[in-house]
Amino acid sequence: MQFDVHRRDLPRDETVGGPAGVMLIVLGDLDMAGAPGLRQAVVAEVTAGSRLVVLDLTAVDFVDSVGLGVVVGALRRLRAHDGDLMVVCPEPRIRQVFELCDLDRVFDLHVDVESAVDAAVNDAPPRGMSA
Amino acid sequence: MTGRPADWIELAVPPTPKYLQLVRAVVGAAAGSSAGAVSCLDPGRVADLRLVVSEAVTNAIKAQGSVGVPDRIVIRCRVEFDHVVVEVADRGPGFDPDAVADLPDVETPERLRHESGLGVALMQRLADGAAVESGPDGTTVRLTIRPG
Repeated sequence: MQFDVHRRDLPRDETVGGPAGVMLIVLGDLDMAGAPGLRQAVVAEVTAGSRLVVLDLTAVDFVDSVGLGVVVGALRRLRAHDGDLMVVCPEPRIRQVFELCDLDRVFDLHVDVESAVDAAVNDAPPRGMSA
Repeated sequence: MTGRPADWIELAVPPTPKYLQLVRAVVGAAAGSSAGAVSCLDPGRVADLRLVVSEAVTNAIKAQGSVGVPDRIVIRCRVEFDHVVVEVADRGPGFDPDAVADLPDVETPERLRHESGLGVALMQRLADGAAVESGPDGTTVRLTIRPG
């Protein structure tokens, strides 16, 4: 599958009282070839004022350390602006890569978009490290 | 791809990221099919193999890119009845594997400043063997994967 990142604004009623939010839907392999595209998309969103990003990895076939690094960088950029990142990661194989690097202690890994948005709206305290 | 001595499968790719997917596909297919015989690796371990090989080739691309070497990166794969061996050889400047710094603890703020450095940890955790031979003319990483 060709790597791509699609965006869509989170519906207004899901972000009432919270920061401006957007969902980034990643398709394909999140490796050294694809990761720069995701980094560029996150930087564009933060620059445009988004403070809540839901990163949907449901359609990601493969992730490696470079891909994980971009997700870590996305969290750093958002936390630096008092924002936050929610990760949707239902595929056990992709989730395992986060776990192997102990990054499941840092990210909220959600099984579907609905639970990620719900957690964001309820403003759960960030896990693990802060910026 | 050519057959090298007897049972080695060899692949040589330009040092650019767009070839990573091809490397993963070839190594995964070789390890998963074993030339008609039943593979020793289940799909989960084949996925582990694809990941560690991808990490090794990524490091090779970075190494050659750091000094502008355009030579192809060579990946060799041999499927045995009870394990799979993959070698990744580059013509980068070499490095001291013992000098690779540990990352800060995952729950400290400093960790967020490190977007790289997880590849070696993944290789060590998933591979049953990860041997590195490195010198000024390049690096060869030899990865061994056994059934889980």
